[in-house]
Amino acid sequence: MKSYVAQRLGIAILTLVGMSIVIFTLLRLAPGDIVDILFSTAGYVNESEKQAILKELGMDRPYWIQYLDWMRQILTGDLGKSYRYDVPAWEVIRPLVPVTIELAVLSIIVAVVLGVPTGVISAVRQDTTLDYVLRVLSLAGLSMPSFWLGMVIILGMVSWLGWIPPLTYVKPTENFRAHAIQFALPALAVGYRSSALIMRITRSSLLEVMREDYIRTAWAKGQAERVVIWHHALKNAILPVVTVIGIEFAFLIGGLVVTETVFNLPGVARFLVQAILWRDYPIVQNLVMFIAIVVILSNLFVDMLYGVLDPRVRYGG
Amino acid sequence: MSRRRATISFVVVSLALVIAFGTPAISQTPKAGGTLNITQREDLPQGFAIHETSTISTVWPAMPCLNNLVLFDPLKKTESLDTIIGELAEKWSWQDSYRNLVLFLRKGVKWHDGQPFTSKDVKYTFDMLREAPDAPAKLRINPRKDWYTNVQTIEAPDPHTVIFHLKRPQPSLLMMLASGYTPVYAAHVPPANYRTACIGTGPFKLKEWRKGEFVEFVKNPDYFVKGRPYLDGLKYIVIAERGTRTAALQSGAVDVAFPGETTKTAAEQLKKAVPELAVTPYSQNVNDNIIMNMKKPPFNNAKVRLAVSRAIDRRALVQAVHQGGAVVGASMAPKPHGFWGLLDRDLNALPGYGKPADEKPRAKQLLAEAGVTPQNPLKVELVTRAIAVYVDMASFVINELKQIGIEASLKQIETAQWHATATRGDYQIGANLTGIGPDDPDANYFENYACGSPRNYSFYCDEQVMKMIEQQSQELDPKKRFAQVAALQKKLEDDAARPLLDWKLDYFVHRPFVKNLIPHQSIYNFGRMQEVWRDK
Amino acid sequence: MVASPVGVPVDLVVVGAPARPGWGTTLGRFIRRKPLGAAGGAITAIMLVTAVLAPWLQTHDPIATDATYTLGRPNAEHWLGTDHLGRDIYSRIVHGAWVSLLVGVGSTLMGSVLGGIIGLLSAYVGGKTDLITQRLLDTLQGLPLLVLALVMSASLGPSVRNVIIAISIPIIPRAARVIRASVLSIREMQYIEAARALGVRHLRTAFRHILPNTVGPFIVLCTAQLGSAILVEATLSFLGMGIPEPYPSWGRMLSVSAAEYAQKAPHLVLFPGIAISLAVFGSNLLGDALRDTLDPRLRGSR
Repeated sequence: MKSYVAQRLGIAILTLVGMSIVIFTLLRLAPGDIVDILFSTAGYVNESEKQAILKELGMDRPYWIQYLDWMRQILTGDLGKSYRYDVPAWEVIRPLVPVTIELAVLSIIVAVVLGVPTGVISAVRQDTTLDYVLRVLSLAGLSMPSFWLGMVIILGMVSWLGWIPPLTYVKPTENFRAHAIQFALPALAVGYRSSALIMRITRSSLLEVMREDYIRTAWAKGQAERVVIWHHALKNAILPVVTVIGIEFAFLIGGLVVTETVFNLPGVARFLVQAILWRDYPIVQNLVMFIAIVVILSNLFVDMLYGVLDPRVRYGG
Repeated sequence: MSRRRATISFVVVSLALVIAFGTPAISQTPKAGGTLNITQREDLPQGFAIHETSTISTVWPAMPCLNNLVLFDPLKKTESLDTIIGELAEKWSWQDSYRNLVLFLRKGVKWHDGQPFTSKDVKYTFDMLREAPDAPAKLRINPRKDWYTNVQTIEAPDPHTVIFHLKRPQPSLLMMLASGYTPVYAAHVPPANYRTACIGTGPFKLKEWRKGEFVEFVKNPDYFVKGRPYLDGLKYIVIAERGTRTAALQSGAVDVAFPGETTKTAAEQLKKAVPELAVTPYSQNVNDNIIMNMKKPPFNNAKVRLAVSRAIDRRALVQAVHQGGAVVGASMAPKPHGFWGLLDRDLNALPGYGKPADEKPRAKQLLAEAGVTPQNPLKVELVTRAIAVYVDMASFVINELKQIGIEASLKQIETAQWHATATRGDYQIGANLTGIGPDDPDANYFENYACGSPRNYSFYCDEQVMKMIEQQSQELDPKKRFAQVAALQKKLEDDAARPLLDWKLDYFVHRPFVKNLIPHQSIYNFGRMQEVWRDK
Repeated sequence: MVASPVGVPVDLVVVGAPARPGWGTTLGRFIRRKPLGAAGGAITAIMLVTAVLAPWLQTHDPIATDATYTLGRPNAEHWLGTDHLGRDIYSRIVHGAWVSLLVGVGSTLMGSVLGGIIGLLSAYVGGKTDLITQRLLDTLQGLPLLVLALVMSASLGPSVRNVIIAISIPIIPRAARVIRASVLSIREMQYIEAARALGVRHLRTAFRHILPNTVGPFIVLCTAQLGSAILVEATLSFLGMGIPEPYPSWGRMLSVSAAEYAQKAPHLVLFPGIAISLAVFGSNLLGDALRDTLDPRLRGSR
């Protein structure tokens, strides 16, 4: 197990290095840079002033030096300075992280609470009207663009209640109720979407398990339906569900862009879009790496969980 | 001549006697206390460094912590030499027939870090702005250098006196000094610091700037105007999504809109939903215009330019793109919103301002004269900035050009590239927006029409026009200057230098309990918040 | 759907369903067994037809503005109303179908084909090449699709072609994975071994024998990705980083002015949103049903 984890971590680091090269290159390929944007807020361009700022930001150096410099920064735990804000990148990024993590966790909870029971019901009542209704409802969630759903929620609230959730981050210690409301609505909107995936996988994996012999035996032995399904079948069907939860969590960390935008939540994803538009390389690079690390860690975590949930899984080569 | 000068001196002297806290026009007694939530459309582009940007996104949230020498009276709607009041300058006087401007500074003013404010700060700021050879500091980006080309030297004979020595008379210099774009920086703070913090003398002190989320100010208890500001604090909340912004105004999550961002239709809709909201239409001092590259064919041909100008039905554009929330005008904001606007009669006589039924055939004829026929159509690429307000206008223009036989394809340029594209002339024709700080010919013409100015995107360069620009600038007789500016406007439209399409109006929205927040005739000059109070 | 080339019972191969007699009966059975899938297929077909026939289905020029009827309610002339510039929403939605489909199908096909080829070769060659390819794909897959597409579209600049590329790149590793897995399982099968033993050249083996057997998973993969590609396009366009004007893109129609005028003209928000949802819904339904039919092992993967 230990060597397995070490191996996985080794691969993860390799992946991250590869990804850092991809991101670094893509950003430099993008037309325009921070200095162009700075001049665009001033409404003119001056070549010599432009060169001076490029030098000030260290952007006149060869790309490979800039890349190595970034790697050095990551290793020393100093993420460099934001081009736009002129303060350490870490200072800018730090307050964004808990907002996104909290929203993603809450959304996953909503998704599981909605998705698993409906998936089970749908599987047990396979090909009945109830099954079709549940599947259509859940697929509908997967099909609606989350920014549209968020927009409709905000517009609906303001028209009927004349009220919208807080526009700046409310600390839970400050006002728990406001905090809860602030996160509940986007979490419901996002969770509804994610629940579709969880419902689908619960349903299909349960259907598969229920076809297996030992479940048939349990049926034959006359055990109560509830016991068979919730105790025997679901326990064995849960593995793929866990995988999807892991994948979905990783997806949400970067996929909340529009939800954060529409609900005006100061999270990682919304900020990432602004940083991309501003060509604020230090912020974009480090935010993307952060997202990548979360993705890799959650994949690793899911694999570890497999071992706990399913003793048949052996970690090796 | 001498009598006129005497009159002017009288006006100036009486002006000089007007002090910052002159009697407010509103009878209600202001109440102190409370805070306001104010809309911010995007995060501050360069913090509080007003001098390094030209965008309302910086000016609006940075004005409360800074002060000017002089400012357009926050309590008056109009902006003119008559409505300028003192801020850091208590009094001022023109000498040597508008060649020397002497400013007497307020005593006992302190920067937010406790340092005293003196004439040194003023000399430092303006030497830096005009890039004087001996300037002690340099801005890394300096968009309004051209405003001060006429300043010869700046002298600080004692800690509370500053003298601007000019090359030639320029009464309008005060207009520039009174703009929100012209705060005084502290000499003991490097200019770069204003990008992250705000050491000002202003009515509010910066409390916290959470990047991408909000900027919060608290009352400056040591403010030099006693009893001001009324409010305890301000919070500028960044809301990037327009729909969310409108919802925030409607629900009361914010008390004040962002200047220049509420269209007529949006305001009407808000007013219908929340009847007690206060809505004030005013001129943004921002215009829609067409830039045509005169260095390249086909637009080096004046006939083709004029055909384009005549092809565009300006009144239909006001209806279609702005739903009526704009006004047709030439290169200075039209009346009643702007002081220099042409009379209706003169305006309607300009090419492109007549009836579309007359204008379109004349445009076609001009094109035919230039050799453009249905067999030999003109195909051009029309550039615009990839922002909705630009794209909407460009879409309309393309539709109009199609009707006279010009096939224009739209090319959107990302914000990062837009000014570079325009400044370098990497385009044929473009749909552009131009914002002008104060409503003054000097603030407009030197920047946008003078030969060699980096913001003269069309590369229009005409000797006669240059003379007219300089002449009006030093004209001391207001009536004569008005006539000269009118002639200038006519000449520029006749040449299709940069055809003006319309001047945008903003429908400024705030909650009814927000008092003394009065939009001016430009979005850039009314954000100080010193006089604003909350009736609740 | 796919006949095995050398007569091995298809049941043994990755394609799960037994060989069937003809198209008509197959379709009939599909509709009876998978009514939801059939509904999804119908929605997708309608979208296809709409997209292709857009110039004939439109009632107005989708780009033409009309100053006299801005933010107009739906009426006999403008079936779904007009937007803030007086452009006809119905005609824009019809043309938007073309844009959505072009980007959706284009990026899905491009990503899946490229990924498929990579997966096929990587699995077939095996060894170190396979290992290195896998690590490279990990690099691309370590990022959520939307994040990669955002960075890609920023670096390429907004245009229809670039958006297609931006969305297709994140699909590559996903496609490569699926195809690789199915190739690996086929490779070990007897008839391939037999072909090899008979000395059939490698590439020929790969293409003649293995390729046809990956068609099932490939179709499943494409339908599954189509929905998310359409969604990503809408999201990018909504954020102003996707399809530029004047192309009437559904996502773009929802950005900027739609929500601002929603009180006065709710149709601005409703119709494009419904169009996106329906299109994605249709392809999801179809994808689910095809997956169940063609490749039960792929359930749950995205």
